[in-house]
Amino acid sequence: MIITRKKDRKELLENVRRYKSFFLLGCSECATLCGTGGQEQLDELKGLLESEGRAVAGAFVAKTGCQVLGTKVELKRFKEELGKTDCVIVLSCGAGTQSAVEIFEDKAVYPSNDSMFLGNMTRLQMFDERCSLCGECILDKTGGICPVTACPKGILNGPCGGTKDGHCEVSAEIPCAWVRIYERMEKIGRLEDFKAGTLAAKNWSASVKPRKLTARGVPEKPQASRGGREEKK
Amino acid sequence: MSFQEALNSGKFIVTAEVGPPKGTDIETLRHDIELLKGKVDALNVTDNQSAVMRICSLAICKIVMEHGAEPILQMTCRDRNRIGLQSDLLGADVLGIRNVLCMTGDHVLAGDHKGAKPVYDLESVQLLGAVDSLNNGKDMSGNDLRGGTHFFQGAVVTPEANPLAPQLAKFEKKIRAGARFFQTQAIYDIEKFKDFMEFARKFPVKVLAGFVILKSAGMANFLNKNVPGIRVPEDLIEELKAAGKEKALETGMDIAARHIRRLRDEKICDGIHIMAIGMEDKVPVIMQKAGLL
Repeated sequence: MIITRKKDRKELLENVRRYKSFFLLGCSECATLCGTGGQEQLDELKGLLESEGRAVAGAFVAKTGCQVLGTKVELKRFKEELGKTDCVIVLSCGAGTQSAVEIFEDKAVYPSNDSMFLGNMTRLQMFDERCSLCGECILDKTGGICPVTACPKGILNGPCGGTKDGHCEVSAEIPCAWVRIYERMEKIGRLEDFKAGTLAAKNWSASVKPRKLTARGVPEKPQASRGGREEKK
Repeated sequence: MSFQEALNSGKFIVTAEVGPPKGTDIETLRHDIELLKGKVDALNVTDNQSAVMRICSLAICKIVMEHGAEPILQMTCRDRNRIGLQSDLLGADVLGIRNVLCMTGDHVLAGDHKGAKPVYDLESVQLLGAVDSLNNGKDMSGNDLRGGTHFFQGAVVTPEANPLAPQLAKFEKKIRAGARFFQTQAIYDIEKFKDFMEFARKFPVKVLAGFVILKSAGMANFLNKNVPGIRVPEDLIEELKAAGKEKALETGMDIAARHIRRLRDEKICDGIHIMAIGMEDKVPVIMQKAGLL
């Protein structure tokens, strides 16, 4: 899911200082799980705005804020409230905010959160980044642990000289991704793959922005363009 | 005799290093080069060491050559993408630089521009592959070069890494990618280093053992606590303590000299690499103590 963090409330109020009437838009998916865009946070922000003498014409938690059409349909019943609104504050991720920008062509739209990363929830409202959405997955070659994400240097062929007692030079809090990969490949009996293969430099053209995908009726990506192990001649 | 020829001659090799300064005043650096030339077989020139922004390694390699010494260009992958790295390698070649040491590089968070974007488009193994490719007249994309490079390429290894097995696997990858010599992280435990060398001797590469001079017991403890891949054994720390403050540095140099003699006499490795880190004037002293001058 997309991990979000609330922006500093002072900063948010400063950003929207010129507007008088607001509509608050949350999201029932990631932002709710992050505690940044559920009903509770909508109520909280409504209270804050009202305490500052601003009006909140309406508030709604969209099913999936990044789904542009679905959110647009859901918002139809708030025609009246939205008519009174000069600013929409979106309590989800940057994608959700930009759905609102598309839906409300002539209204100001402001983000309530900072979007941080694609994360896994490990415990309630505790998140880890495990995938960088690089566009060419190499988990098949690294025992299922992503070094592009788990290693601060994103290196592809084993630990650097900065490993200290299995932890990273960047922070003792970070377990060395390559020690983890090595141990995992050993456990699943694939250590020989790790030792024998050298991963070629990544093809970053797979993540040139902005990316677009039409998944409807499109065949699988041809094998030839995939990055892979590069064996030494 | 070039560094490569010296290594292949079987002679016990000594390399040292100079760190480019932060700023354009290179008088001290010139002094250090003059002091070391003729005594060591080659001089590493570090690449924005510890991720602190300084004069580029390439320019200082050229200065080293002007002084009549042979440089080893250290290249990290932290600050340049594959286009920048290959381009600088071509530039280094036409300047006559023949030795290159390929490393991944300390993270920008270790340095003085913590907000910089870390690059790591390649890492050490892939950079070695790039050098090998340029040596064979092609760039990393397989395009033909009008004139290839002539590098003698090396890499680094940490014999005291914990855990060791993944580090050794990477050492092998570096060899397969074309590394022909290795300079190690500082070592202080000769017995343990011998175990590493027993493994390393299976491969056709030259290994220079790394030395960082111990100035005091406090420094040894600091290294143990803070520097990845360095382990100073307790008995050496005791030896430094027993020497007292006045004699600690002398003792640190004696320890280095004693270890160097042993490495040479027992033919444990092919030479040494002394990282003096600001004490370049001590390099000849240690060499003398070790009977290398």
